[in-house]
Amino acid sequence: MTVVGLGGAPIDVLLVEDSPGDVRLTQEALHEANRAIHLHVAFDGVEAMAFLAREGAHTAAPRPDLILLDLNLPRMDGREVLAKIKASDSLKTIPTIILTTSEAEADIVKSYQLQANCFLSKPVQLDAFESRVKSINEFWLMKVKLPNHAEGRRI
Amino acid sequence: MPTIETRYLALLEAAPDAMVLVNPDGKIVLVNHQAEKQFGYRREHLLGQRVTLIIPQGFDERLVADGTRTAAEALAQQIGMGIELSGRRSDASTFPIEIMLSPVQSAEGILVTAAIRDITARKEAEKHLAQMEARYRGLLEAAPDAMVVVNQGGQIVLLNVQAEKQFGYQRDELLGQAVTTLIPTGFAERLRADGTRTAAEALAQQIGTGIELCARRKDGSEFPIEIMLSPLQSDEGMLVTAAIRNITERKEAERHLAQMESRYRGLLEAAPDAMLLMNTDGVIVLMNLQAEKQFGYRKDELSGQPLRTIIPEVWTIIADVKQRIAGALRSAGNSRAQEIGAGLEFTGQRKNGSELPIEVTLSILQTTEGLLVTVAIRDITQRKKAEARLLQTVQELNRSNEELGQFAYIASHDLQEPLRMVASYTQLLSKRYKGKLDADADEFIAFAVDGANRMQLLIQDLLAYSRIGTKGEDLLDTSAEKALDSALINLGGAIEHSGAQVTHDPLPRVFADERQLIQLFQNLIGNAIKYQGSTVPHVHVSSARNTEKQWVFSVRDDGIGIEPKYFEKIFGMFQRLHKREEFAGTGIGLAICKKIVERHGGNICVESQLGHGSTFRFALAEGNAN
Repeated sequence: MTVVGLGGAPIDVLLVEDSPGDVRLTQEALHEANRAIHLHVAFDGVEAMAFLAREGAHTAAPRPDLILLDLNLPRMDGREVLAKIKASDSLKTIPTIILTTSEAEADIVKSYQLQANCFLSKPVQLDAFESRVKSINEFWLMKVKLPNHAEGRRI
Repeated sequence: MPTIETRYLALLEAAPDAMVLVNPDGKIVLVNHQAEKQFGYRREHLLGQRVTLIIPQGFDERLVADGTRTAAEALAQQIGMGIELSGRRSDASTFPIEIMLSPVQSAEGILVTAAIRDITARKEAEKHLAQMEARYRGLLEAAPDAMVVVNQGGQIVLLNVQAEKQFGYQRDELLGQAVTTLIPTGFAERLRADGTRTAAEALAQQIGTGIELCARRKDGSEFPIEIMLSPLQSDEGMLVTAAIRNITERKEAERHLAQMESRYRGLLEAAPDAMLLMNTDGVIVLMNLQAEKQFGYRKDELSGQPLRTIIPEVWTIIADVKQRIAGALRSAGNSRAQEIGAGLEFTGQRKNGSELPIEVTLSILQTTEGLLVTVAIRDITQRKKAEARLLQTVQELNRSNEELGQFAYIASHDLQEPLRMVASYTQLLSKRYKGKLDADADEFIAFAVDGANRMQLLIQDLLAYSRIGTKGEDLLDTSAEKALDSALINLGGAIEHSGAQVTHDPLPRVFADERQLIQLFQNLIGNAIKYQGSTVPHVHVSSARNTEKQWVFSVRDDGIGIEPKYFEKIFGMFQRLHKREEFAGTGIGLAICKKIVERHGGNICVESQLGHGSTFRFALAEGNAN
C-alpha cells in the first residue's frame, strides 16, 4: 500500500500485529494522522524479522523508519523480536514502539529492559486510540531527529 | 466274834488309807498301821486320845449332837462324802487330808470309822490346775474375739465375756447348751466324724482356717462371723476352741468395695472407648469390652501382653511414660488420676493385622497395687475420614475459588480484546457514517456503541474486582492517613466538581495492602460524594479501636441514605439501587470494598436511614506503630 506523502518522501512504518482488526484500526488512525506513512504489516515475529532482513518475499522491503510492535504474537513473540532488533547493529537505531493491549507491569519493565523506545497501551476507546496514534506520528515521525539511513551506524 | 474281829482288823491293817475308829466321845479307839505312819505316832500313843490330836478341826464337830439333831443324825449327814480337812502329825506339821466316814454299831454305841487319805499330791495338782486355769481364763477373757469351747457333743463348756457380749447371753445361759444356739449351721457339723474320717481328722481339716458362718444373737438377730478352730485335749476328751470374730464391718466394707468395683466396672464397660490399664512397664493388666471388640482379641489374650501388641508404635511414648509419671507425680498433689498425655495419635493394630487410626489418652492411677496407667483409646477412623474429606473439600474449594478468580481475570482480560474491536468499529461506524445512512441506522449504531461501552465498563470492573484476590500485595504496616490522602488526590476532580467537604480525624497505622486501602477509601468517599442529591456533600472519616485489636474506620456522609433492606444487597457484585440515568456506574464499587476488607481479614457494614446519610464502617488489623 503505497501512500504518497504530503509533498515529502514516503515514511515507512512496520506494524507487527496479528489481529487484522487492530491492523485496520491502526491503519485508519495512521492514515488520518499522516497520509505520507507507508504502512507495512508483518503478522508475526518471524515475518517481521524476515522483512527487516529482506529475506524471502521481502527482498525489496525498505528499511522502516518506525516499528510498531505488539507483544503477543504467534511463532515469535514481540519480546523476542525486540531483543533481536536491539541486538542488531543495523536495526537497533530504528525506533521501536511497543503497542499492545497489555498493561502488565512485567511487560512494561521487560520491554524497557530490552530497550524499547517507548511503551504504549492500546486504549479501549476509539477516540483515545486515534489520538495516541496521532501523538506517535507527531512525536516520532515529525519531531524527533533520527539518524540517516546509514546502516550499521552506531548512535 | 473274835474271828470276825480278827478278820476285820486284818482288813483294817491292809487298807491303803489311814483308818481311825472314834467313839462317841471323840476318842480314838482303834487305828491301823497307815494311821501310825501318816501321823507319826505309835499306836499306843493314839489309842484313847481325842481325835482332835490328829485332826484338829472339822471332824470332832461333825459327830456332835446339837440342838437340832442327834449325834447319829449328824453323822448320817457326813457319811459317804469326802470331807477335806487338815491332818496334824506328831511333829505338829499339817497336811491336807480327805476323810470318809462310816458308822459302826458296837457295844460301846455307835463308833465312827474314818478313812483318812493324804491328799497332798492331789491338792498340789489342784492348785496347779487352778493356777493354770486362771491364766488361761485370763487369756481367754483378754481375747478380742468371742471364744467358745465346745465338747465333741457340741455343747458349750466354756466361753468368755466377749462371747456373752457378742451374743447377748449371760454366761450361765450358755454353758451346757448346744453350740447351734449360737451358730445354727456349719460349726457342729464340722466336728463330726463321718464314713471317711474320724472326729479328730474332721477337726484337723478345719484348724487354722477362717470359716465364714452366720451367728445368731439371743434376740434372734443374725450377723456374719469368721471362726477359727483349735483342738484342746482335756480330761473330758477333745474340746474345740472356737474364736469367733464378728465380720459385719468387714463384710460391709467388702460389699461396698464389690459395689464400687461393679460400678467402676460398669462405667468401664459402658465407656464408648477402649479402655486399658497397664503397668509402668507397658504391660496390659485390665481392659474393657470395647478394647476386645476394637482390637479383636479376647481379654485373656491381651492380659499380660505388652501394649505394643495393639499399638506397635507406642514405644515412642512408653519410654517417656515413666518420665511423664515422675513429672506428673511431682506436681500431682492429691489427685488420684492424672492425665499425662492426651490427643496422642497412633495407628492401632487389630488381631487380624488390620490397622485403625486411634487417639490415646494416658492417665496415671495410684492404686493399692502401685502405679498404673489408664489408656483410653478412641477409634478415630470416622474422624480421620471426615478430616480427610474436609481437607479435600477445602482444597477443592480453594482450587475452585482460585480457578474462578483466575477465570474471572482471564475472561475479563481476554474479553477486552474482541470487545475493543466491537467498540472501536461501532465507534468508527458512528463517526464515519452518522447522518449518511438513515435515522434508524443512526439509532442502531448508537445502541451498539452504548452497549459496547457499558460492556467495557463491566469488564473493566470485573477485572478490577478479580485483581483484588489475584494481584493483591502483601499486607504491610501502612499509614491509613497517607492512604486517605492519596484517595483524596485521586478523587480531586469529583471533589472539586461537587464542592464536597471531606474531613477526617487523625488516622492510625494498620496492616494493609496500601493500594487496596487507597481504593477502599476512594470508592467509599467517591460514593459519598456521588450519592449526594442536591446539597454540598460533607464526608467525615474517623477511626476507633475495638476489642479485637482492630481499628474500625467510619466514612460518614450526609447524602441520600440507603433503605435498611438493601444493607446487604449493596455489597453484591453489580448491584445497583438506582436507574442508570440517575447515577452512573456498574455497581461494582462496594463489592470491591467488601472484597478488599475481607482480604484484610476484616468486615464492612453500613448504617443508614433513607434521606439521612450513611455511615460505612470497616475493621482492619492494627499496624505496628499502635
